[in-house]
Amino acid sequence: MVGLSLGEQTFIKGGIDQDLRTDGRKRLTYRPIFVETGIIPQASGSARVKLGATDVIASVKAELGKPNPSYPDKGKVSIHVDCSPTAEPSFEGRGGEELSTELSSALERCLLGGKSGAGAGIDLSSLCIVRGKVCWDLYIDGLVVSSDGNVLDALADAIKAALSNTAIPKVQVSANAPSDEHPEVDVSDEEFLQFDTSGVPVIVTLTKVGRHYIVDATTEEESQMSSAVSVSINRQGRICGLTKRGGAGLNPTVILDMVSAAKHVSEQLMNKLDSEIAAAEACDEMES
Amino acid sequence: MEFVNPEGLRLDGRRPMEMRQLRAEIGVVSKADGSAVFEMGNTKVIAAVYGPREVQNRSQQSNDEALVRCEYSMANFSTGDRMRKPKGDRRSTEISMVIRQTMEACILTHLMPRSQIDIFVQVLQADGGTRSACINAATLALADAGIPMTDIVTSCSAGFLNGTPLLDLNYVEDSAGGPDVTVGILPKLDKVTLLQMDSKLQMETFETVMQLATEGCKAVASYIREVLLENTKQLESRRGV
Repeated sequence: MVGLSLGEQTFIKGGIDQDLRTDGRKRLTYRPIFVETGIIPQASGSARVKLGATDVIASVKAELGKPNPSYPDKGKVSIHVDCSPTAEPSFEGRGGEELSTELSSALERCLLGGKSGAGAGIDLSSLCIVRGKVCWDLYIDGLVVSSDGNVLDALADAIKAALSNTAIPKVQVSANAPSDEHPEVDVSDEEFLQFDTSGVPVIVTLTKVGRHYIVDATTEEESQMSSAVSVSINRQGRICGLTKRGGAGLNPTVILDMVSAAKHVSEQLMNKLDSEIAAAEACDEMES
Repeated sequence: MEFVNPEGLRLDGRRPMEMRQLRAEIGVVSKADGSAVFEMGNTKVIAAVYGPREVQNRSQQSNDEALVRCEYSMANFSTGDRMRKPKGDRRSTEISMVIRQTMEACILTHLMPRSQIDIFVQVLQADGGTRSACINAATLALADAGIPMTDIVTSCSAGFLNGTPLLDLNYVEDSAGGPDVTVGILPKLDKVTLLQMDSKLQMETFETVMQLATEGCKAVASYIREVLLENTKQLESRRGV
């Protein structure tokens, strides 16, 4: 991106100070969210989310696997994000790897909880088929197609939408398999179970520019930020994860303030997102 | 396995000379100078063009012409089995080079010396013919970016199974082990810029199959022209002309 002139920087900072950003939004207003589900027919679930010019795609693939021996009654989930060079020429080759890793680990931290699966947004025990032998492995893949700031929030929204769209096939385990051999599992083609996403959190990123913080920053605004805090909040208003990025130090009271602002914003975001997902699914059903 | 049943229908219900449904959209990535989405049946590809811009690597800068670079990558979820390595593998490197050479042939590079044009192609869904879809998408993206070209480049593939030449193979037909001929042409100038084939084919049959692929390319060209014309009309009306 071409650098901003001093005049442009002052304009952005001044606007944020006066609660009027360059595109006319208030400090705590999100850009319009556009959700499309079921765009990748080969995946178990998929969604595309557009937040202004930021465009991301998330897909969920469910495959049969063996559970971790330390947690025999839980399935496995892995999240991987890829930054496409179509978003930024600098993502060519291995250029996007750093950002991809940062986004993947931030998402894993927010959605997957601790090592034992405690506090995870996704209920891992629902992915278990046969204790200790067979479980579902969920591979969640994110792709950043176009980036205009706030990619983390968009990815979290896309993953939530993709999970709502995910249909896990019903399995029938043959009852007469010997107990220590790999049991026969019959994956049904017809019947599916819809994934329960009521516990999946959303992520709200607050970017501090000057003395105020804004929600859903564009790339221009992000270039002026001193620090950013990403808070992951679920429907019950509980915090599921927290990341602070950026070099400038923040007063602890400011952080607490940002977290409560994030909680407030997340309610509206959740409702908007849920209604968009429902509309997208209805659209999808009408077409098919 | 039977790829063409006795009634003459293929596995997905098409006739042998029938192409898959084409769909294209211009200007999907607003940040890029030019971008397009191109779908051929279930194969879906996004292309974004950044340029002409300053050369990033001074040693590669050319005083007479623009530097054209291309990168092809596939999304993790694009194929049936999840891919581990989206880019950097040999197939992606080869296809990147093929697309670059094909597009370089039609861009008027001498008009933009000391500059760089980046073409990035991302495969969202792969169901056979990704190479062709990428070239078609790149053509649209270059047109959207306003980069001067001698002619548009269109591409299509054709094969030969069960004794019948088939146009526009999908993944199942492609992996059957039969020949797969990919052709890229400059439709107005009637010149071939890309020709690739794998497996083996009799000389006479090869001529028929290549002719079929070229017909497919021309069909794609007329569709692309329609899309570009429609896009220009919209731009006109937005300008209030």
